[in-house]
Amino acid sequence: MTYAYLFKYIIIGDTGVGKSCLLLQFTDKRFQPVHDLTIGVEFGARMVNIDGKQIKLQIWDTAGQESFRSITRSYYRGAAGALLVYDITRRETFNHLTSWLEDARQHSSSNMVIMLIGNKSDLESRRDVKREEGEAFAREHGLIFMETSAKTACNVEEAFINTAKEIYRKIQQGLFDVHNEANGIKIGPQQCISTSVGPSASQRSSRDMGSDSGCC
Amino acid sequence: MLSSVPHRKTWNKSKKTVKVTRSYPTFPSLNAWEEFRRLFPVDREPNPGVGLGVEEGLLCQMVHSPEFNLFPESVVFESNFVQVKKSRNWIGIYKASNTMALGVTSSVPCLPLPNILFMANVKWHHGQSQTWNQPTTAPKIILKSLDSEGDTPHFNEDRVGSEAICVFPHAFRILPLKFVELQVCDRFQRVLRLRTVTEKICYLRLHPDHPQTVFHFWIRLVQILQKGLSITTKDPRILVTHCLVPKNSCSPSGDSQLVQKKLQASQPSESLAQLMAKGESEALSQIFADLHQHNQFSSRSSRKTEKKKDSPEKKRPSEDAIPCTRDLSWRESFTHGEWERENPTGLQPLSLLSTLAASTGPSWHHS
Repeated sequence: MTYAYLFKYIIIGDTGVGKSCLLLQFTDKRFQPVHDLTIGVEFGARMVNIDGKQIKLQIWDTAGQESFRSITRSYYRGAAGALLVYDITRRETFNHLTSWLEDARQHSSSNMVIMLIGNKSDLESRRDVKREEGEAFAREHGLIFMETSAKTACNVEEAFINTAKEIYRKIQQGLFDVHNEANGIKIGPQQCISTSVGPSASQRSSRDMGSDSGCC
Repeated sequence: MLSSVPHRKTWNKSKKTVKVTRSYPTFPSLNAWEEFRRLFPVDREPNPGVGLGVEEGLLCQMVHSPEFNLFPESVVFESNFVQVKKSRNWIGIYKASNTMALGVTSSVPCLPLPNILFMANVKWHHGQSQTWNQPTTAPKIILKSLDSEGDTPHFNEDRVGSEAICVFPHAFRILPLKFVELQVCDRFQRVLRLRTVTEKICYLRLHPDHPQTVFHFWIRLVQILQKGLSITTKDPRILVTHCLVPKNSCSPSGDSQLVQKKLQASQPSESLAQLMAKGESEALSQIFADLHQHNQFSSRSSRKTEKKKDSPEKKRPSEDAIPCTRDLSWRESFTHGEWERENPTGLQPLSLLSTLAASTGPSWHHS
């Protein structure tokens, strides 16, 4: 299937926060409660439609365990979007966000769009991180924020697609050089760059991004 | 789905010249490389590795495709396997139409040993030859789990002894080889045992469409990964003084270094084996050298001497031999050679991913 753009995503965050589950929910629409530790990187892909353009998301699911951390750093390069995930039931995963963010900023393009995700929103009774705290962290660091549940699929689609929308918006604004592979964006086969971006789309409202759809 | 299969890369060997042809229409730096390569004459001689399904196969095509563009100058050695379960006989876990492509490569072509393992679930069309790798008829590696298409393994929750059957949820993954142990488990049934540092174990039987020669290459690879080559050292105390990873690799695009690396890797007056011996991983060169040698002899005699007396399957480590599986802190105490740097400073060229560590870590002890 042809596509206008390919966006490379990377999913990062502490071990056990649900990175692989988010990917599985997004690509396969299913939840796998027991998941082995990710080693190296696992890949998923899905086509999405943004403003009438077919966009392929190539998603790199990385290892969160500290022992693999240094290797995970090598995957940041060339990512257009990052999903930075913490577990709302484990405070320490939220406390480590700064460290993950530093890594992401240091090893990736400065234009990379980062979506902060508070996962496991279905476990409200065990909540350890308030939603407002996540929002505040995102606001402070210029991130988009959503709470999701890979188990119930709540906001999972929105998290991936809103990230794509923001990347697409940056392309339209000329912030991304789509010819530079290091930005994590590739033009699809047989696509002409002059026709791949519609001018009207640049007027889209920012309300499409940044806030969740409210199902969680 | 991987929709854009790249143009075939062909290795053509002549007496003194080599031509590698590729076409990546959207990447100018690679096209420039193409033009450079075209300056030299070629003979049209088929590559035996392609015929055996160990070179330029599905994995190679995928990782070298414009969508991934990973390790573009590194040779990939790969084969198709069937994931099996240990029982009285080996039993296939998935439907026959599902296979697993397993391959190794080097993140940097000049590394002495491969350091990257690829694993991909492949779904074949009915009646399709499963070692066939022509792009017009090849299957696609679908970046979705097998389960999602109703291909749930027969023994998903089953256990063999204390070993859970290894089910990979995603269709394609890259593993640093230092976190993986490969062993020859059953030489006669052509079964490899793959164990990760997190104790995931799976058994992979070489696909029946592959000739026996291919399994010999895997045996050789397993030996090389375990024991190294004469030119390599497994002693972590010995630091490699020459820099294999460019230190000034902070170019935003990495293009200039990429081109430079390609130029360095090219010696147009050399044979394919010589080229690989210098420009590609030494271990893979060894495998492919065996391949080409075998190809020469096979026309005269089909008998190939079995020279491995100490077969790896007799050296299966006890489960206790692993220094640490859950707690991976043993990695931290290891002194890395220059090529094993794991803390990149600044941006790394995308094509290198050079900080993926080499396979020479002290991860597995064999009794």
